[in-house]
Amino acid sequence: MTGKSAKVAALQTALAAEQAASYGYGVAGSHLTGSSFKVASTDCVLHERARDNLVKMITALGATPQPAAVAYRLPVSVRAADDAAKLAVDLELSVVSGYLSLVAVTDPALRRLAARAMQSATVRAARWGAPSQAFPGLATPH
Amino acid sequence: MAAEPTRRTMIAAAAAGSLGLAGFLTGCKGIAALGPVPPVGADVVTLEHAISAEETMVAIYQAAVSQLGNTSITSGNGSDAQIVAAIRTEHVEHLRELRARLILPPRYAKTKPGANKHPAPPQLPADAKAVIAALAGYERSAAARLVGELVTAPAALAQLMASIAASESGHLVYLHQAGVA
Repeated sequence: MTGKSAKVAALQTALAAEQAASYGYGVAGSHLTGSSFKVASTDCVLHERARDNLVKMITALGATPQPAAVAYRLPVSVRAADDAAKLAVDLELSVVSGYLSLVAVTDPALRRLAARAMQSATVRAARWGAPSQAFPGLATPH
Repeated sequence: MAAEPTRRTMIAAAAAGSLGLAGFLTGCKGIAALGPVPPVGADVVTLEHAISAEETMVAIYQAAVSQLGNTSITSGNGSDAQIVAAIRTEHVEHLRELRARLILPPRYAKTKPGANKHPAPPQLPADAKAVIAALAGYERSAAARLVGELVTAPAALAQLMASIAASESGHLVYLHQAGVA
């Protein structure tokens, strides 16, 4: 895989995670009220911005961004606020994993962007109640 | 009248001379006389920095756990000492994983300045809440340093460093929860 195609593939993976998060927060938000709803709305906007930014980056490389799915099979069945928080945790941890391959590309700016996205998503996951993790995004650190 | 050297004796003499010269140059000290150890690669230096930083974090957290043991505040998430101890365990895991990536021959390890030294932790404040705030500052700095250094690291190490930086950023949330208990 060439440097450019590796970049595009890694950006597409991150984009897929951001698209899923944008969709998922819409579902989560519909079961939340008050301050939790506000936090979910803010987090949703952050993912939408990240998604749009990734679309621009992929396009700038001369590739076509993969479109979002019409619907996603959610990992959590959301019926109440607690479920919505669990879904938010799951979405954020998926985003952390989604940026991992972008950290491995050779472009320093992309690496930095990906590492910061992993940090932000881990922080949001923690705020939604995720337990602390030594190696977020890595299935096993080997 | 001396016999003229044959081609075979000339080759034998040349070989003996070469061996003698090599023995003279090395002083019969074996491979150690070949020269100084070449400098380690940039990726090894990056990894060593990350290991050193994690050693410092473990030392800081060890000191904090000891200090908070008698003064901890308990909240719904557990005492702040318990939260700090759990984070310390994760830093130990970070350190173990980083050290596992560093494979150097013994000769390099011996020549590395400061090898096997345990860093002295910086002085922590006396007040429990101030300790938590200080830990948050160390986490923030450690995560920022990792993100700064991972840009030049080999891909797999960069991923590990990014994951550790994310973990350290997440610690800020748990420390905040401990601090406001």
